Formats: sequence, structure tokens, C-alpha cells
Amino acid sequence: MQAELGNTGILTGAKAKLGAGAQGWGAGINSGMLRAGLLVFVGYYLGAQLGLALTFHPHPVSVMWPPNSILLAALLLSPVRTWWFLLVCALPAHLISEVQGGVPLRMVLCWFLSNCSEALIGAGLTRFLAGSTANFARMRGIGTLFLCGGLIGPFLSSFVDAEFVALNQWGNQEYWVVWRMRFFSNVFTALTLTPAIVIWATGGWQFLRSISKTRWLEAVVACAGLLTASLWTFCWQKAGPDSIPSLLYVPLPFLLWAAVRFAPNGTSAGTLCIALLAIWGAVHGYGPFGSHSPQQNALAIQIFFIVVAIMFMFLTASIGERARAEERFTKAFRASPDAMLISRLSDGHIIEVNERWEKMLGYRKSETLGRAITDLNIYTSRANREAFLAVTETREHFQGSDVSLLKKNGEQLYAMISGDVEEIGGEPCWIFIIRDVTDRKRAEEAQQNLAHLTRVTTLGELGGSLAHELNQPLTAILSNAQAATRFLDMDPSDMPEVRRILKDIVQEDRRAGEIILRMRGMLRKEEARMLPQDLNEIVVEVLGFLRSELLIRNVTASTRLAPNLPSVQGDHVRLQQVLLNLIVNACEAMGHTPASKRIIVIETQEAGEGLVQASVLDHGPGFPSRNSPQMFEPFRTTKPNGLGLGLPICRSIVESHGGRLWVENGVGEGAIVRFTLKTEVEVTA
Amino acid sequence: MNAANRKVYVVDDDAAVSKGVCRLLRSAGYEPQAFNSAMEFVQYYRASLPGCLVLDVSMPGISGLELQSWLEKLNSPLQIVFLTAQGDIPTSVNAMKHGAVDFLTKPVNETALFKAVEEALRRAQKFAAARTETEAILTRLATLTAREREVLEHIVSGQLNKQVAAQLGTVEKTIKVHRARVMEKMGVTSVAELARMAEKIGIANLPVPSSASPAPPAPPNHRVSA
Repeated sequence: MQAELGNTGILTGAKAKLGAGAQGWGAGINSGMLRAGLLVFVGYYLGAQLGLALTFHPHPVSVMWPPNSILLAALLLSPVRTWWFLLVCALPAHLISEVQGGVPLRMVLCWFLSNCSEALIGAGLTRFLAGSTANFARMRGIGTLFLCGGLIGPFLSSFVDAEFVALNQWGNQEYWVVWRMRFFSNVFTALTLTPAIVIWATGGWQFLRSISKTRWLEAVVACAGLLTASLWTFCWQKAGPDSIPSLLYVPLPFLLWAAVRFAPNGTSAGTLCIALLAIWGAVHGYGPFGSHSPQQNALAIQIFFIVVAIMFMFLTASIGERARAEERFTKAFRASPDAMLISRLSDGHIIEVNERWEKMLGYRKSETLGRAITDLNIYTSRANREAFLAVTETREHFQGSDVSLLKKNGEQLYAMISGDVEEIGGEPCWIFIIRDVTDRKRAEEAQQNLAHLTRVTTLGELGGSLAHELNQPLTAILSNAQAATRFLDMDPSDMPEVRRILKDIVQEDRRAGEIILRMRGMLRKEEARMLPQDLNEIVVEVLGFLRSELLIRNVTASTRLAPNLPSVQGDHVRLQQVLLNLIVNACEAMGHTPASKRIIVIETQEAGEGLVQASVLDHGPGFPSRNSPQMFEPFRTTKPNGLGLGLPICRSIVESHGGRLWVENGVGEGAIVRFTLKTEVEVTA
Repeated sequence: MNAANRKVYVVDDDAAVSKGVCRLLRSAGYEPQAFNSAMEFVQYYRASLPGCLVLDVSMPGISGLELQSWLEKLNSPLQIVFLTAQGDIPTSVNAMKHGAVDFLTKPVNETALFKAVEEALRRAQKFAAARTETEAILTRLATLTAREREVLEHIVSGQLNKQVAAQLGTVEKTIKVHRARVMEKMGVTSVAELARMAEKIGIANLPVPSSASPAPPAPPNHRVSA
């Protein structure tokens, strides 16, 4: 790959070095660290040689100065505690290469300091902002690297450098000229060389392994194209007034190819390759960058490649993000435990389903694709299908609708469907997520049946008192009606009294109707509907319902209801049932209590943490404490005609409301059953 | 029948029921009066209260059966017709044992109600008449001297003057005088009449003339209501 990309030995050295770096350099100076140090030494030396080779004389700063970027990359790839060692290893390389060029030692050391400062600022800031696990193939990673290592590091260290140059009276350029030349040279190198090193060092091997055979072929073609175009542009055309400046755009389509198809690895390597060829060409008098003064040529190359590197690296990173997002979606789609289906918004045709869909609904993928979702025979009724159509036609998003669907084999399935309109393959599509909730539904139904059964049983046990309750208005009605007949038969008829009687009859009839309505409410079998409920109100209702029962049992009920109790989230009938059961239980527990002490107390209070607590206290014998856990077992009863489902069903209802139910013994005597319920959650719009 | 004999007290905690029942009774010429609790009636109660009591069984506070036993202890002439929404046999048997006239279930038909009330009023009147007679006898009895009472007891036990005199340690002539005084004071002309009278009041446990009449029993325990 290196050879194909036409790279120099520097990259080979750097890559090998960074391969070691990726394995992590241990604490203290161990063999890994020594190896890394050696690689830094070699890389730095070769980089410096390359930099010197690419110097436009009498320019004191080369167009490209690789050592700083190699050092920056080395620091980025190593633990902070080993940085000092790497810098120490770079020093001899620096000395050897600079002293060879005949530079005074003082200046050489000063330059080493400014180079180190650049690498430290860049690497330190990048680490600080992007973290030690930053991925430079991603937008965030490459952005941070460009900003800190590519811009801020060179910007600050160039002041140090220019200051040293002035201090040592090296060369004869002005302070700002030195600053500018060094700044652009280092930005250019940091943007083209550092990304290539860190990206190949961290993900190069993985990238190469992930490439398929056809991809390899494509890569070879792309590389060949890139090299040909670059060589032709930068190393073939003689520089001079005849050269065509716009020729430098010729290699860019191949770079775009790399960006779109070959991830940041391809882009960074390609950019570096073109840049090196361009510099080589310019140094040797070829290409569009050879027509002006060396300084102008150097600046032109630097600015051109700074722009190219930023553009293409960000482009490839953003393509990568998109590809990853799509890949994630594809993975989620395939592996989802929920059935998923994608249909085109325009004509409703299904374009994709996942495996779970096939299993859940029984339709094979081949017989689903291409059909409209409304053509599938999955609706339990016409109304069901119409409702589904209406939702998909009027909305762009819905969540958690409970529906029943038909499987291909005719079985019924309870499902929760969510849907969202998303653009897929350039077309707006519905993505439906279908979750099988049959088991949950069955469990709910079972609880519903059980709750209903126990309500019926309880009402059966209360039959006598309910008859009593109903008999009262009936007695009043009959007596009034018979009295009215007599008043009419009198001579003269007592019409005003008859009118009053009829009014009373109407009122008593309503009262009887309400009693029956309440009973029917309790006997109805309905799905629980969770709505805000006032627990105090339910206590009062249930005591009204049990008025006759309490009377017959000679029990006095008193209440201690907390004022301003927050409403709870729950089903009205179920909560009535819980209180009804607990109060009847309390009454039954006091069968042997002297009449004067047959008192039950119902309390409500806020229990904090978004809970409301209700308690039913009686004056019976209390719970035998050792039986406590068994009291909640179904069919365990102390009553001759009870089902033994009272307490278990109360607990299961309370728990299905997200609350808790437990029993205690009173301080002096009697038992207490307490339960908590969640207060209504304030929904903010 | 006089006005007092048409008086019916209706005690029911359900105002609509007592109102309706009172209307029905009034339409048939009775004089009903409604009470919304047994306690209300207890507070209103006087010993001389005549008539019929239509009483609900289950009420908060004092129940119908408790009120019945309280009245029984007071030896009240009031006759009770129970009216209940849920009549079980043990309760009704218990009520009837303690002298209830009838035990009707709600909703009650007028015929049954009137029949029971009529019977209750008849019994109440009879009870009142009997009590009037007993009271008259007791009044006369109170006028006898201690000696005359002794003589009376012996005579009604069927002893001859001679035997009485021997037992009391006196002569037959004196006994004869006492006996004449007793007959006169008790307003009878024959020993047979005197014996029937004595039987009516139960001569064996004659009240001691000097002692005060016993205090009425305390009203039944009134439970604490919420």
C-alpha cells in the first residue's frame, strides 16, 4: 500500500512506529517505550532530512517541515507519561540533522525547543478537548486535531520560533516574515502529514483487512489515476509562464474518489501523496507552483493544500458518519427483536422487512416486498385497517398504538406499533416497528379476569346488604305510590300531597337507579384505564356503597382523609375494588369484637417520593404474624365461603398500579393494611 | 276508636322510607309520627305513650332489636311491628319471641302493613286496658292495713275463717270483721272474685306498698359514631 501510494520512507517508518504505539507503551522505560523512542528518533531524522530536501533556497524554512508533525503524531498516539521520553529521543535526531546543515548549536537547540512546544501544545490541547480515546476518523476527532494541532500549536510556537531567530540573529529576515513562513509551513505539514500518521496507526490494519477483493481492484485503479494525474500535473509540465494554473485541479477528482470510497485512510494518504509530488515538482521547476518566486510558490502550495486537506478530510469524515449511522440502522433493523417494515410513503409499497417480521407475522420476505401494506391481510377488521390508513395518511409519527393483527395462519397477535417517516434512499418512507405484546396482553387479561371474578364474588358476598340498599328506595316508592292512590281516592283528592309524593317517587327511583349503576360498574369487565383519580373521593364512594353492609355488621367507619391529596394515576373500578375488599375484610375480622368496639378507620396521606398512602385499620384480632407471607397466596382463606383471592388480588392490583401493599398489626389491637399508589405525573407540554 | 289508639310511631334511619311509610299510614287514617333514629325516639319516649311502633331493624347507633329490649324492660304498652330490608329467620324469631306483633320485609305492601298495625293497636289497647285494671287493683290493695293483707293472703289461699284465726292467733270473729273490711275495700262481693283479682296481680309477689316505683332501665348503649 505504501509503495502504491508512492510514499517515501518516512511514512513507512512512522507507520511502523505508530503500530507499536497503538499497542501502548508501558510505564517506566520498558522495551515498548524504547522501541517507540527509536522510531521517533528515526522518524524525526528522516522527516528532518525530507524537510531540508524540500527547502527552497535561500529560504530558511522549508515548504514542508515533517519533524514537528511526526512528533505531534507520536505524542497523540502515546500515553502522556511517556511524552518526555519521546522528546528526549527526538533530540539527537534533531541535533544530527541540523548540525549537518551547518547551523550553530544555540540556534539548533532553540529550534528544538520551539518544535517541542508546538507538538506539546497541539497534542496537549487535542487530548484535553477530544479525550485520550479520540477517533481521528470522525468529525469531532479530526476537527479537534485540525484546530489544536494544525492551527493553535503552529500559531503559538511560531512566535517562539521567530523570537529565537531574532535572538540568535539567524538569517536576515524580518520577525513577521519568519513567523509567517514558519506558521504556514507547519500548518500545512500538520494538516497533511499528522492525520495520515494517526489514522493509519490507529485503524490502518483494520482498514486494509476490511477491504474486499473488488475494492482492492478499485483502490489500485484509483491510486493509479491519482498518481498519473499528479505526476502529469506537478512533475511533467515545465514550470513557467506557459503552465496552466487550473491544471492543479486535475488530481482532485481522484482525491474525491478516495474520500467517497476509501475512508479517511485513503483521503489522508492521497492528500499527502499529491502534496509531496507537488512540492517535489515545484522544487525541481515543474508544475503550476513553479512560476513565481520561491517564497510565493511555497505559500501557494501551502495554502492550496491546507484548503484541500480541510475540505477532503471533513468530507470523508462526514461521509463516514453517515455510513456508520446507516450501518447502525441496518444492524438494528436486522437484529431487532421487534418486527420492522419499511414502506414507501408515495405508494405504500413495502420495500424492506426484517427477519423478525417473517417470524412474527408468518409472511415470507419474498411475498411481502412490493405489496402495499394495506393489501396484506393482517387486520382483524375493516375498521382496524381504516384506522391504520387514517393514521398513516394524516401523521408523520406515532408511538405505541396497541392493535391486534392477524398472522398468516389466522392466529391473532397483539402488537404495539410505532411509526416514523424517514428519508431512506432519497425517498420518504414509513418505518414501522411492531412489537409482539401478546404475552403481556394475555397476562393483563388474566389479571383482568381474576379481578373481575373477585369483584363478582365480593358483590355476591355483599348480596344481602346490596338488597338492603336497594330495598330502601323501593320501600319508599311503594309506600308513596300506595299512599298516593289513597289520597286520590279521597273526596276531595289531596292533589298537592299527591304532587309531592310523585316528586319523592322520582327521586327515590333515581336513587335506586344509581345503586344499580354502581353495581353494574363493579360487575363490568373492562380493561383498566389509567386516569387521574382522587383517592379520597373513592374512599367516600366505597363507604357509601358499603353503608348497608356496615349497618348490618354493626360496624362504624370513620375516616381521616388528608386534605389536598394529590391525585393518583389509576383505574377507578380497580381502586374501588381494593378499598372495598380491604374494608369488607376489616369488617369480617371484627366478627367477634364487642359491638361497641367495631370501628374501622380509613386514612389517606401523602407518603412523599411521589406516593400517596391509604390505610385500613380495624379492631379485630390482628394478623397472626407468622402467617403474613402466606396471606397473599391465592386460595388461602379463613372464610368458609370466600375464594381466598381478596388480599392477593388487592396486592396484584396495587402492584399493577406501581404501588405496594402490606399488612401490619396495630399498636394495641387490630390489623392495618396499607398500600401506596403513584401520584399522577405532571405532563409538561 | 279514640285518637290515642290511632297513633303509630315510625322509626327508620332512612328519611325517605319513614316519610313514605308515614304518608301511607296517614292516607289510611292513622296518626303517624316519624323518627330518624332509635335515639330520637328514646328521647321522645314517655311511659304513658300508647299505640304502635313501626321499627326498622338495622340502624346506625341503637338498632331496632336493642330498642325493643329496652322497651320490654320498661314494660311499655307499645306494640312493635318490625320492618326490615333483610329479614333473616333467627332475627325474626328473636323479635317475635320478645313480643313483636309482626316482622315485615321491605318493600312492604299496604295490606300487610295495615293488618299488622291494626293488630298492634288492638293489642296495645288490650294491654293498656289490662294495665288499667291491674293499677286499679293495686290502688285498692294499697288501702289495706298490714293485718288485712295477711287475712287476704290466707283467704285467697282457700283457708276457712277458723283456720286463719288459728294461724294468726286470734278468734274467728275478728277474722270475720277483717274479711268484711277487705271485701269492702277491694270492692268485691265474693271470695271467688277476690281470688281472681289476686291471681291477676300475682298475689305471691305483691309490691310492698311503701317502696317507690323502680327507675326505668338506662337506654341501650349508644355507640360512638364517626
